Amino acid sequence: MSIQIRYITKSFGNFQALKGINFDIAPGELVALLGPSGCGKTTLLRIIAGLEWPDSGQIIFHGVDATSRHVREREVGFVFQHYALFRHMTVFENIAFGLRVRPKATRPTEHEIKEKVLRLLKLVQLEWLSDRYPPQLSGGQRQRIALARALAVEPKVLLLDEPFGALDAKVRKDLRRWLRNLHDELHVTSVFVTHDQEEALEVADRIVVMNAGQVEQIGAPDEVYEHPATPFVYQFLGDVNLFHGRVDDGWAKIGEADIRLPEQEVDQSDSALFFVRPHEIEVNRSNGNGVKGIGAFVRDIRRYGAVVRLELERTDGDGFVEAVLSREEFKANTVRKGDEVILQPKRIKVFPQAAEPAPIDYVI
Amino acid sequence: MSVAVAIPQSSPGQVHSRLANREPAWVRWTLISLALVFLTGFLVLPLAVVFSQAFSKGWSVYASALVESNALAAIRLTLLVAAISVPLNLVFGLSAAWAIAKFDFSGKSLLITLIDLPFSVSPVVSGLIYVLMFGLQGWFGGWLADHDIKIIFAVPGIVMATIFVTFPFVARELIPLMQAQGTDEEEAAIVLGASGWQTFWRVTLPNIKWGLLYGVILSNARAMGEFGAVSVVSGHIRGLTNTIPLHVEILYNEYNSAAAFAVASLLALLALVTLALKSFLEWRLHASITPSK
Amino acid sequence: MSVLRKNSVLPGFNLAMGFTLLYLSLIVLIPLSATFIKTASLGWGGFWQVITTPRVLASYKLTFSAALIGAGINTVFGLLIAWVLVRYEFFGKKVIDAIVDLPFALPTAVAGISLATIYSTKGWVGQLFAPLGVKIAYTPLGVVVALTFIGLPFVVRTVQPVLEEFEVELEEAAASLGATRLQTFLKVIFPTLWPALLTGFALAFARAVGEYGSVIFIAGNIPMVSEITPLLIITKLEQYDYAGATALASSMLIVSFILLLAINLLQWWGQHRHTKH
Repeated sequence: MSIQIRYITKSFGNFQALKGINFDIAPGELVALLGPSGCGKTTLLRIIAGLEWPDSGQIIFHGVDATSRHVREREVGFVFQHYALFRHMTVFENIAFGLRVRPKATRPTEHEIKEKVLRLLKLVQLEWLSDRYPPQLSGGQRQRIALARALAVEPKVLLLDEPFGALDAKVRKDLRRWLRNLHDELHVTSVFVTHDQEEALEVADRIVVMNAGQVEQIGAPDEVYEHPATPFVYQFLGDVNLFHGRVDDGWAKIGEADIRLPEQEVDQSDSALFFVRPHEIEVNRSNGNGVKGIGAFVRDIRRYGAVVRLELERTDGDGFVEAVLSREEFKANTVRKGDEVILQPKRIKVFPQAAEPAPIDYVI
Repeated sequence: MSVAVAIPQSSPGQVHSRLANREPAWVRWTLISLALVFLTGFLVLPLAVVFSQAFSKGWSVYASALVESNALAAIRLTLLVAAISVPLNLVFGLSAAWAIAKFDFSGKSLLITLIDLPFSVSPVVSGLIYVLMFGLQGWFGGWLADHDIKIIFAVPGIVMATIFVTFPFVARELIPLMQAQGTDEEEAAIVLGASGWQTFWRVTLPNIKWGLLYGVILSNARAMGEFGAVSVVSGHIRGLTNTIPLHVEILYNEYNSAAAFAVASLLALLALVTLALKSFLEWRLHASITPSK
Repeated sequence: MSVLRKNSVLPGFNLAMGFTLLYLSLIVLIPLSATFIKTASLGWGGFWQVITTPRVLASYKLTFSAALIGAGINTVFGLLIAWVLVRYEFFGKKVIDAIVDLPFALPTAVAGISLATIYSTKGWVGQLFAPLGVKIAYTPLGVVVALTFIGLPFVVRTVQPVLEEFEVELEEAAASLGATRLQTFLKVIFPTLWPALLTGFALAFARAVGEYGSVIFIAGNIPMVSEITPLLIITKLEQYDYAGATALASSMLIVSFILLLAINLLQWWGQHRHTKH
């Protein structure tokens, strides 16, 4: 089922949680709503579900306006952040709940209910837990039971609120992969909310990056990561170095340094923000060969797994820069702590600066 | 007042054996002894004296005090009053807690304060307000007399005064419990297609049953034992408008001490059963609040 | 009514709220306001005259001073009992913990006659004091005893949870910094307890001011000496002095409301005093 979200606004008192959200979700897609806490992503998810009503705008399911349709009739499955399992019912009864509360005419027989619940338990690989109560389960198990319960009513849309938020790191990774596989198997249109960029990049078909009640960018994970549309997205997705400067005739002027911009998106700007990913910085020994770049001292060197992280302080005293080199690169250029080096961005993204400063000032 | 029905947290055997926070043995035992002496003088002895006096003239006096016709009438009336007032307050408590704990609206804390109000009103005043409404000199007194309806100095007045003094118990118990449990489970039920009543019966009620029972137990103890408020509206007509506590008063004032304590022992037993159930329910309640993390 | 609330998918708000407000009005609000309307018909002068006769003033004095002393005793011993119950292990602790609530569960009339029996000159406790020339039952002292009894659980039950949640690490930190046990108690533990103590005190006091059942049997009820205000209301009612009874009731209601407000403020303060900024 396709979902169209049309100009949704929502306020809580004086706080404007959503400021005109507008995008489409294709049938069978797995979409992530990604953003920092308070950006309105959960509110949007609850509006799609029908747990909350928008002040204006429409939610269209498969071409039909569903905005005023009650959540009971929307045929959505909702997985709550803290699972909301019925604590006084067994796992079996939790999953069977949606079938048992149907009116007599459409309620499956006891036998059918049993068969279905067992099939779902098998799907989430927790057959042996059917007689347990929720408090006796681990976080990851609860998550999967909550999912099975939501799937029992055969929803046309599956909505998940921070599905991995309350789990520890290891379980989260496993469950992510598992959810991705499950979606490939079932192909039900799914939307999940997360504040974790890695989670969104790894699981989703498409990512909707939200900030302060607005959509910043929509795109495939690669696209969003490689070509961030706004300074916010740049900073929110992945580590990044931020430089202040200006653009003059296709040259970036950062402090004393002049750097040729490879693709001139911007020719001229009195004030600009430059974003450079730590792994897209070349670090050269300052050997006086006239390489134009940003001068810096190596303050610290740390080796993590396959990469080496350098903490660098700019020679003009205008803050710190982080660079990540592969082990090979690091070996090749033999920098040491205390050395003076020249930094040359391999790829640089320019945002001519608007009046407002970037939300996060120094990002590692 | 609210503390009476707050849910005390059970102390799961916190043994503080670490030296840094332990007093010397003599301090500990002095404090324990002081506490025990105080509790004995104010709680244990009053309870013990009820039974000791009740049986001071032997079993037969005890038994005959209980089966005497006025005593039986008092017992019947007390049961009747509790059987009317407790269920009414139960329904009220449920609906107040549903509205307050599951929805957001302005004026909520004012409403909670108003619900608490009867706890801070003197029992005598609690009775008096109904006399002012329905007594012969009261607002509706003339009308009621014309239609030959008796409320004050009759059973309806006793029921009303009892409802007033037990009014907050169930609501006070359920509101914090339902607030702590949140609305997630109810929302989940609705998303899964349950109707409002299905959600209430299948999800909400099972989750609050221990808290509900707790409120009912406290409410019932107060309903059966209320003295001041009922005393004002009862008229003390033997065999007709005397509840158990009022019957105890009459016997005591007639210097029929053994009989008074015999009847009082019924109420003391009720208190003991209430305390035992309360302890048990606190233990169950603790489990139902602990979120399923 | 639905303008009051924010949207929610849960049903039944209007029904539940409607019933709640109706029931609250019928049982509590309208009857209580009847008292004030009736009092208003007396006029200010009449009201003042009723509540300032010497007998009434004597009853106020007794009621408030006995309630104050009772609540004071309960504050000291309530803290002691809560401390002992939370911090120490001893035989029968669970039973003691349960029995603290006895004054909530035991009907006041039963408490009244048993306290009168124990604290009379021939009673279990009274006979210990009789040789010293101290009479407890049928004197103002008896009123204090009864009011101490009925207020006992309040302080214990407000202080106990605070003490249970108290971080032991704070005491360990104090000890590691060289504080003695007494210093730790006075400077580290007590400051966190006293909003709860004050709340417990106010609750016990408020309950004691209105108490009737447990007092009248032990008080002796001698006008000007051992007659409490609630009893005076009943006396006036029995003399068909409805106006007088109503005026007295109003004065007590006003006191109750002020106390209720104070208690709410205390509880709010206890919860929020460290969460500013």
